[in-house]
Amino acid sequence: MVMKGQASNSWKSTAVKFRMPTAENLVPIRLDIEVDDQKFKDAFTWNPSDPDSEIVVFAKRTVKDLKLPPVFVTHIASSIQSQLADFRSFEGQDMYAGEKIVPIKLDLRVNHTLIKDQFLWDLNNFESDPEEFARNFCRDLAIDDPEVGPAIAFAIREQLYEIAIQSVASARESRISKKGRRGAEYALASKAGSGAVDIVKLFGHKSSVLRKRKEWDVYEPIVDLLSNEEVDALEAREERIAR
Amino acid sequence: MELTQQDTNSKENRPEDPELDLYTIPSHSSWFSWDEIHETEEVALKEFFDGSSITRTPKIYKEYRDFIINKYREEPSRRLTFTEVRKSLVGDVCLLQKVFRFLENWGLINFAASSSEGEIPVVGDDERSKVKIEEGVPNGIRVVAMPNSIKPISALPSVGNSGDAADNGFKMPALASYSDVFAELMKHRGLVCGNCGEVCDSGHYKCTKDDLLICVKCFKNGNYGESKSVDDYKFNECFQNSGNHGALWTEAETLLLLESVLKHGDDWELVAQNVHTKTKMDCIAKLIEMPFGEIMLGSVQRKGNSSDLNGNLNNSKQVHLPSAEHQENAKSGVQHDEQTNENELNGDTENEGPPLKRKRIASLLGDDGSLMKQVAHISTMVGPHITAAAAEATIASLCEENSLSREIFDGEDECVTNGLLSPTADYEAKRVLEGEDSEIKERSSQSEDQDASCNKDDIPLTLRIRAAVATALGTAAARAKLLADQEDREVEHLLAIIIGTQMKKLNCKIKHFEHLEMIMKKKHAEMEELEEFLISERISVLQRALSAGVPRWRGHSFVKY
Repeated sequence: MVMKGQASNSWKSTAVKFRMPTAENLVPIRLDIEVDDQKFKDAFTWNPSDPDSEIVVFAKRTVKDLKLPPVFVTHIASSIQSQLADFRSFEGQDMYAGEKIVPIKLDLRVNHTLIKDQFLWDLNNFESDPEEFARNFCRDLAIDDPEVGPAIAFAIREQLYEIAIQSVASARESRISKKGRRGAEYALASKAGSGAVDIVKLFGHKSSVLRKRKEWDVYEPIVDLLSNEEVDALEAREERIAR
Repeated sequence: MELTQQDTNSKENRPEDPELDLYTIPSHSSWFSWDEIHETEEVALKEFFDGSSITRTPKIYKEYRDFIINKYREEPSRRLTFTEVRKSLVGDVCLLQKVFRFLENWGLINFAASSSEGEIPVVGDDERSKVKIEEGVPNGIRVVAMPNSIKPISALPSVGNSGDAADNGFKMPALASYSDVFAELMKHRGLVCGNCGEVCDSGHYKCTKDDLLICVKCFKNGNYGESKSVDDYKFNECFQNSGNHGALWTEAETLLLLESVLKHGDDWELVAQNVHTKTKMDCIAKLIEMPFGEIMLGSVQRKGNSSDLNGNLNNSKQVHLPSAEHQENAKSGVQHDEQTNENELNGDTENEGPPLKRKRIASLLGDDGSLMKQVAHISTMVGPHITAAAAEATIASLCEENSLSREIFDGEDECVTNGLLSPTADYEAKRVLEGEDSEIKERSSQSEDQDASCNKDDIPLTLRIRAAVATALGTAAARAKLLADQEDREVEHLLAIIIGTQMKKLNCKIKHFEHLEMIMKKKHAEMEELEEFLISERISVLQRALSAGVPRWRGHSFVKY
C-alpha cells in the first residue's frame, strides 16, 4: 500500500482523547424551546470548562435581555445542561484521529443572508479555527450582517462535533473487533464517518491538488441577499416542516 | 512566460525587457523562486515538509503556492481574496488559509493591490472609519462606486507633509474638506464691489463687457467705473447661501453624520435625529460640502459637468499653473476651459445660487482621481499656447483676490524659472516646495499684520495647502507627460526592432534559396557529365566490337549458332 511508505504517525495508534478538533474546545449548543406558543431558538458555542453555575446565570440573563417569560429560564438551563452532559460523556473516551479530510457543507439562512458553501476540513488538525474561517468568509465576501459570521462558525462546529462523535463510536467498534490494527485503521479511514474523502485519490502522486474547473462552482460560496418577502416565505416553510 | 523582477518597494517600472511581465514584490521576499522551495517557506509551513501526511507534501505545497500566485498575477491591481482561490484547491481550508496568509505577508501576492478596495466602512465600526479618514483625507471613504478610479493620489496629506519639512504644525482637522481649505477666503469676503470696496450683500451688478462687479449703492449713485454706462451692467440677485449652515461642524458631529447617512441612506429624518445638534437642512448641506458628499447622495452631475468642474476648480488649478507653465502640453487644457469659464469664476461663486455652488464644491481634492484623468485626457488635445495664455489670465484674476497669493506666485515663478533648467519633475517639485517654504515663512510673518477679520492661523495654512496641492498636481501632470513621451519612444523603438527582425528573416530565406539553387546547378552539371561519359563508353564499346570483327547483331537467331 502506498501509505506504508510515508512517515506515518497518523497510522500508528492514534487514539486521542475525545475533544473538539479545533483550537478552542468549544461545544456547539442549540436551543429550540417552545412554551405556550412562544418559541425561542438559538445557537451558540459554550466552553465546557466553564463552571456549571454559569449556565443558570446565562439562562437568566438571556431571558432578561430578550424579555421572555421567566419559565424559559429552567428550560434553557436544562437544555444546555443536557447537551453539555452528552458532550462530557464522550470526553473520557478515545476517538480515532487518523487521516481524515471531510467535506463540510454550509446551507444556512441568517436574517436576510442565505449561504451555501462546501469545502474540505482536516479533522486531524487540532489547531483549526472555525471562527477565523467565518471571519475571513465574511470579510472576503463583504457581508454586512454581523450575525452571519458566528452562524457560519457554529454550523462548522456542529458538523465537526457530529463527525467527532462518530469517530468515537467507530473507535469503540475497532477495539471490539479483533482485526489487525493496521487493516482496521485503514478500513476505518475509508468507512468511518460520513464520507471522508479518499485521500489517496486526491493527494496521491498521480493527481493534482488543483481542482478541475467544472467542479469550481460546487466548492464556491454562494451568498444571497433575500428580500423581506422571501424571508417570510422561507420562515413559513420552515415552520411547516418543523410541524 | 514571466519573470519576477524583484524590485525594492519603489513602484517604478523599469521597462528594460519588453517581452517579460514585471511584478513588484518587496525586497525582503527576494528569496522567492518558481523552481524551488526556499527555507523560509519550509520553516513557516512545516506541516508540508515533515512527511506527516500524504495530504501535505512539498509537491502539493508548490502546487498551491504556484496556483495562488498565478491567480493573483492575472490581475495584479485587484486584491485577491482567499475565498476566490480556495474553491480551486483541494485540501483543508485551514491549511490553505495558512498558505495564503504566508504569501500575503511576504508580499508575494496582493502587494500592488489597492488597499482601499473592499474596505467598505462597516457601520458602527468607529475605529475603522476613523482610521480611514485620517489616512487619506479626500480618499477617506472612497467607495468603489468609481470603478475607473486610478490609484489614489493622496495629494493633500502627503504633499502637505513633505512640503512642510521646515514647518511643523501642519495639522488640518481630520475631516478637512474642500470648503475648509479653499472656501474660507470666500467666506471672509463675500462679494466685494469693484468700486467702493464694500461687501455686496444683496444684489450686485455685473458688467457685461468687463468683469467688474459693483454693488447696488454704487450703481444707484452712478459710479459705474471708467467709460461704462448703465447699459453695461446686469443685475445679479444675490442668493446668500446661509453661509455657515448654523455654527461649525465639529469632528464628532461629522463622524456621526457620516455614520448615520451610511446607515439610513436617504432618510434625513433619522439622520437628523442621530446628529442631535443639527437640523435636517444642515445635515444635507454639510454632506454636500464634503468631498464625497455627492457620491453619497448619488448625484450624477459630476461627469456631465466635467468642463464646468474643471473650470470651477479655480484656485487649486490656477495655483499650479506657474509651475506647469513651461511644460508644453502639460495637463491643463483644463486651462482652456477655465478661460472660457473665466467670467463666471471671478470673485465669489457663492452668489450664483445653490446648484452652482454645489457643483463647484464637488470638484475638490477628493476628486483628484477623476480630475487627473480629465487632465490627462485634455492635455492630449490642447496645445501649449492656450495653456500659456490661460495661465496668465488666471493668475491675474487670482491675484486680485488676495495679495498674499500674488506673492506666492511671484515667489514660485522665480523658482520655476530656475527650475526650467532642471529636467525632471521631481527636482522641480522640490525646488518649488523649497521656494514655497521660504515663502511660507515670509508670509507667516507678514500675515501677522493682517486684517483681524481674517483668521490669522488659517490663512497661511490654507494658502499653503493650496500651493501644495497645486504643486502636487503640477508634478503629477509633468510626470505624466514625461511618461507619455517615454511610451512613445518605446513604441517607436519596438517598431524598429520588429521591422529589423522581419528584414533579417527575409534575408535568411533568400540566402537559403540561393543556396538551394546552387546545389541544383551543381547536380545538373554532374548529370550532364555522367551522360557524356555514358555516351562515350558506348561508343568505345561499339568500336571495339567492330574492330574485333564481330558482326552486327541481327537478333536472336544469330546467337543460337
